[in-house]
Order: sequence, then C-alpha cells, then structure tokens
Amino acid sequence: MSRLRDADVRARNESAWLLPTGPERTNHRLRADMRRYDECDEVDVAIVGCGAGGATLLQRLARAGASVVGFDAGPFWDPDADWVSDEAGSHKLYWTEPRVISGRDPVPLGSNNSGRGVGGSMIHYAGYTPRFHPSDFRTYSTDGVGADWPISYVELKPYYEAIEQELPVSGQSWPWGDPHRYPYSPQPLGGNGEVFVRGAHALGIPTRIGPVAIANGRFGNRPHCIYRGFCLQGCKVNAKASPLITHIPDALAHGAEIRANCMVTRVVVDDQGQATGVTYMTGGVEHFQPARLVVVAGYSIETPRLLLLSATKQFPDGLCNDHGLVGRHLMVQGAPQVAGRFDVEVRMYKAPPPEVSSEEFYETDPTKPYQRGFALQNISPLPITYSEHVAAQGHWGEALREYMRDYTHWAVMGSLCEFLPRYENSVTLAQETDRYGLPVADFSYSMCDNDRAVEEAAQKVQEDILKAAGATETIAVKRYAHLVGGCRMGADAGHGVVNADHQSFAVPNLYLVDGSVLPTQGSANPALTIMALAARCADRLRSRSRMGPLETECP
Amino acid sequence: MGRKGDFNVLGEVSRWDLVTAGVVLARLDTDPHLSFFTATEEPTVRALADLLVAQHDEPRVPVVEMMDKRLMAGETDGWHYADMPEDGDAWRQSLSALDEEATEQHGKGFAQLPLESQAALVQAVQDADQWRGFTAKHLWSLWTRYVCTAFYSHPWAWNEMGFGGPAYPRGYKNLGLDRREKWERPEADASDPVPWAERREQALRAQEKRVGTPRPRQPGVENVVPKRSEPNHR
Repeated sequence: MSRLRDADVRARNESAWLLPTGPERTNHRLRADMRRYDECDEVDVAIVGCGAGGATLLQRLARAGASVVGFDAGPFWDPDADWVSDEAGSHKLYWTEPRVISGRDPVPLGSNNSGRGVGGSMIHYAGYTPRFHPSDFRTYSTDGVGADWPISYVELKPYYEAIEQELPVSGQSWPWGDPHRYPYSPQPLGGNGEVFVRGAHALGIPTRIGPVAIANGRFGNRPHCIYRGFCLQGCKVNAKASPLITHIPDALAHGAEIRANCMVTRVVVDDQGQATGVTYMTGGVEHFQPARLVVVAGYSIETPRLLLLSATKQFPDGLCNDHGLVGRHLMVQGAPQVAGRFDVEVRMYKAPPPEVSSEEFYETDPTKPYQRGFALQNISPLPITYSEHVAAQGHWGEALREYMRDYTHWAVMGSLCEFLPRYENSVTLAQETDRYGLPVADFSYSMCDNDRAVEEAAQKVQEDILKAAGATETIAVKRYAHLVGGCRMGADAGHGVVNADHQSFAVPNLYLVDGSVLPTQGSANPALTIMALAARCADRLRSRSRMGPLETECP
Repeated sequence: MGRKGDFNVLGEVSRWDLVTAGVVLARLDTDPHLSFFTATEEPTVRALADLLVAQHDEPRVPVVEMMDKRLMAGETDGWHYADMPEDGDAWRQSLSALDEEATEQHGKGFAQLPLESQAALVQAVQDADQWRGFTAKHLWSLWTRYVCTAFYSHPWAWNEMGFGGPAYPRGYKNLGLDRREKWERPEADASDPVPWAERREQALRAQEKRVGTPRPRQPGVENVVPKRSEPNHR
C-alpha cells in the first residue's frame, strides 16, 4: 500500500499508529487515560460486546462525537502478558461459561467459534477475510433456499472496501463474486499452501492466496508477521488484525470507554417500551448504566440469550421476540477437513494457518444435486487440534500415537460449506444456570439433506486435490465452523428481529450489530462482513441523527 | 520415542517469551498429588488415560495430573452435550461405570485387569451406541478430548512429533515443503527404513492385539499403501 493510501486510512482510523513501537504490544498510556463515564450519566450509546461488530461501531460512533461505552464479559487483553504461543494455554480466549448443545447434529462451541474479551472471536480467528458474494444477499430469489436480505451487496460494498483497508487485507486479485483487489500483496506460501495450490492446479481448479487480514509488510506501528503458526491462539505479534488493535485504540483516542470484565445480564426496557440502559455484573456486584441507545453485539449465542433473559411484562417471551424469531435461524458452516500424507515434510504449522482459498464451488451449480456450495481454504491444525482429527478416525492408543508421530508429513485442507438457515436451529434458555444464576444457552442444531450433500461434495474435492498433489493417504473429519444468525434482519417484523438499519422492530432504541443479524452465511468467514455491517450501521445512525453528535438527536 | 533423533523442544526455551515459557514449563511438574479425582477414582482414571495414549512405561507425560488441575479449576471446553452432565460429573460417573463394568465382567476393578482386558472394555465403549446410560460417542468425545489435550500439550509429545512448540518471538524463516530451520531435525534416518504405510499397519496391529479383535480399516485406507519407488513431490 502506498504511503498516500496509508495516510488516507490513518486519517479516518488511527489505530495502527496508536500502538507502541517498542517491545510492548499495548499502549498502556492510552488505556490508563481512557475516558470514564459515571453511572449517573446517561451516555448516548451502550454497546454490549466488543468484538467484530461492537468494536467497529464503537470506533465509528466515538469519531462521530457520541458518548459511548463498550461492555465486554471478558478481559481487556494485553497480548504480551495475557497470551501465549501455545494451544492449551490459550484456553481463556474462548467463551467457556457453560452452554448446552443439543439437536440431531450438536455443534461444539468454545475454542472453535466463541470468543470472550475485547476483540471477540477475531482474537482467535484464523484471519481469513473474504467478502460475501452478491448472490448471498438474495438466495431465496435466485436459488429458492435460505432468505433474501433487506439490503444488497452493492449497499455493503463501500464498507467492505473501507474495512479491507483498515485491517488491512492481503491477497491476490479476487476473481470470484464481485471481482476486486486487495490493499496488500499476498503472503509467501508455506508447505501446506504449496500442496493445496499444486493439487488444485493439477485438477484445473483455480486458487488464490488470501484473503488474510495480515499485512504483507509493516502497517502503522504493527510489525511484519513472523509466521509462527499460532494465529488461532491470539496474535502476540500485532500482525494479525483484530478489533483490539484495528478499532479499539482509535475509539479510545476519541473518548470511548471500554468496560471489560462486565457481564451484561439485562437490557432494561421501561413501560413505554423504550430501552433505558443495561444491567451488568462486575466483581460480583450488580450495576446499571443508563443509555439513550442500547446496542447488543454479543454474537449468535449470547445476543439471543440476552434478549430472552430481558423479558418484561410487556415482552413476556423475551425482548423483540413477539414473532418468535429471537434465537432462530442460527447457522454454522460445515467445515469438513481432510489431511493428506506426503513423503516430504510439510510442517504445516510454519506460516499462518490461513494461506490459500478457492471459491470455485461457491455458487449454485445446476448440474449438482444441491443448492449453494462451498469454499476451500488451507488450515493448519496444531498438535492438540490435529489429535482430534486423528482420534475422529477411531484411532486411539498405539495407532493414535503413530499417526501423531508422523505429524510433520501431513498437509491439511479445510472447507466452509453453506448450511441453510432453518427455524428449528435455535438458541433457547436451558434449565441449567451460570454463576450468576441465569439460565445458560441451549444451542440446538440439526442438518438438512442439502447441508449433507454440500458437505459430502466439499470433502470429496479436498480428497481429490490432496491426491492430485501426491498424497498417499487421506483422512477426513467432519466438523463445523463459525456462527451467524439467530436474530436475523428482515424486511418486516414477521421476517426479522431487526430492520435493514439493525434497529429492532419491537424496541426502537435497541439495535443489534453483530453476526446474529445475518440472514444467510454464504461460504465465507463472517468477520469482514460483520465489521462492514457495523460500519454501515454507524453511517445509518449518523444520517438519522443528521447533524453531528448523536446526543443532539437520538433515533 | 519419536523419529527425529535427539530433537528436544526444551533446548529452545531460552528463545521463548517468558509468559509462554512459564505456562509450558509448568507442565513438567510431576507432583502426583490429585485434588479432583478421589482415591477410588485415581487408579481407574490413570489406567484409562494410559491406555488411550498408549503410555505404558515411565517416564510418563503427567496426563492425569494435568486433567486433574483442569477439572479442579472447572476449565471446561465451554459446552456439554444435553444428554451428558457437566464435565466433572461426567468424569466421575463414567469412571465409576467403567469400574462397575469391569467388576461385572471380570470380578475385579478396571485398574486390576490385564491391559488386554482393559483395552477390550474401552473398545466396547467406542463401538457401542449406548453404554451404561451414556450416549457412547459423547462419552468417547469427553475422554479423548481431555486425555489428548493434556498429552499433546506436553513438550515430550512435541519431541516425538518433531513439532517446534512455542515460536514467539523467534518465528519461522524457512517456509515450504521439506524446508527446516537450523534447530529443526529431519528423521533420524533420512532413508525412512520403515515406510509410513508399514508403520501404520504395525501400530494398528499392536492396537488390535491389545483389544483382542481385528479393527475394521476405514474405507479408502487399504488402497493407499505407497510403492516404495514413488518419487517425492518436490
């Protein structure tokens, strides 16, 4: 990226330049000097959750001059002191408060898809940041499955471009969906990426390096990636983008407050049906923060849970749940993963786990017996995660040990399959309670026939690619990745929990700005889309309040 | 023992950041005192863990000690199946069930049985749909998740695999197929005297011997025994 374009980004989001240049990764001065609002003060906006959605919105609204407080149930991370270059030691990055999983195809949560702490799940995501395809916004019209969004790709496109510059994203020119370029050139390939590219090209399947939210070079005060392979354990280097370093510093510099280790337990709504603020627990004590506008950005499990926990006389089944849509249409992507054995050493953990993608099978192919499709991506499991892959073959004891002893010879591919949104896939409240005595989420998931057909097809292509690259054996595991939906946006209250501007139909000053609002999920990793939606929502809020700071007029 | 000769991850510890080094070195603690598992549960869980990762000799990776700390702290994965109790209770109930099953079949506790009988009992859990009130695959998932997470978080396991362990702030310079850092080790014998397919078959046979019954091979595995003369893929 040229200096000129760096300067453009810096003018609208200075985060990367607010990080320290020395041996430390956290600007402790900026945090110590953070503005702190009094609980007696009604703030313009209280945001529940500081992940991809909440943190992006926080930064945009703080820049617009609003008084904003962001709450997070987890810590305000310091990569130096809190994170380790180690799998088992990274346990605390995940949401590990209790949750129940049920349904015909229960989906494990925790390390695979649920973050905790400022930065959210983007702290431990791999770093893939593909856009959705234009078709993802109208799957019902074009393919007769899923749902249509109340907005189109074109409305989101400028926000995709803005966020790709702010992260920033590196990768080769993208031929799929709406063809586009990336601000940074692609990363070098490791052994795992080489295998994918060689196998795919032998079969005539095009691939591209990226898109990965790690600059190939320095960006502001963020150093170059050191290819240590622990992207999923939190980036100690500050090379991989997450809101902790891409949006929070700029938000603090513009007067936003982060209240970490604060678990919001209720959105409070008055008798007129207006949100008045949030109740939260910290240090075992309950507090209340009044706010003119409340934004819930707790992601697909905790956002519906919070709405259900916030039931009142007026909303006996939970806030915004008059049409029974809260917690519904929750989606995961199928992510079958295949390992292939090579005589040469692959050492797949060297280089970032995100390397190469192909979206050649993303769109509906009329010659196939299923609707929609899948994307292919590299993934490089570390020892513990790889032992799950081997154990899933039924191996244990001596056989497990022998496969694991052979670790450096295996390459792994992953995929993201578009599973369809279904009403029965849901978050409800369980009997079991958490440490505050509040019912935990019960996440029920069951796949449909189309889901299974896409999953089979994705696995088959990966096996073919690895064999074409020379693998002498392949072993596959069916797994899931990502969460979206649960409080989807829709054209009207009968079809969604929020409208196209993220405003809930039931409570006019309650907004949902996170992955839960997505009506479909495509075969793309959701982080970039969630951030782009949050950036768009900020613009919508600003235009509603017309001139300047939000406090003059709140929607 | 691994195939990477004298490769020792801990030789690089001075090049790790202090926070990571602290977390990894703490796993070398071999204090056998348990807090979560009771004296009754201890022999059963030790025998089960040894079996699942084939640790039959000293020195052992302290798998049970690591699991014990984790369960004591309530450090779960953040979810449990609706038909399973929370993890700590699930461990207690399943260990007790394993002991009962052993007593019913052999008149002795699980830990007192010869390895072959233990292995057959454990294999029966993996093969079952329902096992003593548990959905067998959910129980299997609990057992293998806890045991594998502990075993493969230990530097000795990394030595066996040739995995470099923590890589911060050092990182990696030599990316790509068959490329190594100066401190990484190739196989001790570069000509690979026992090819992978053969080693896999040996391990599967050893496993079958333990369990006492032939294990079904997965479809697609038998047909991939490579010809020795296949060129490498460079």
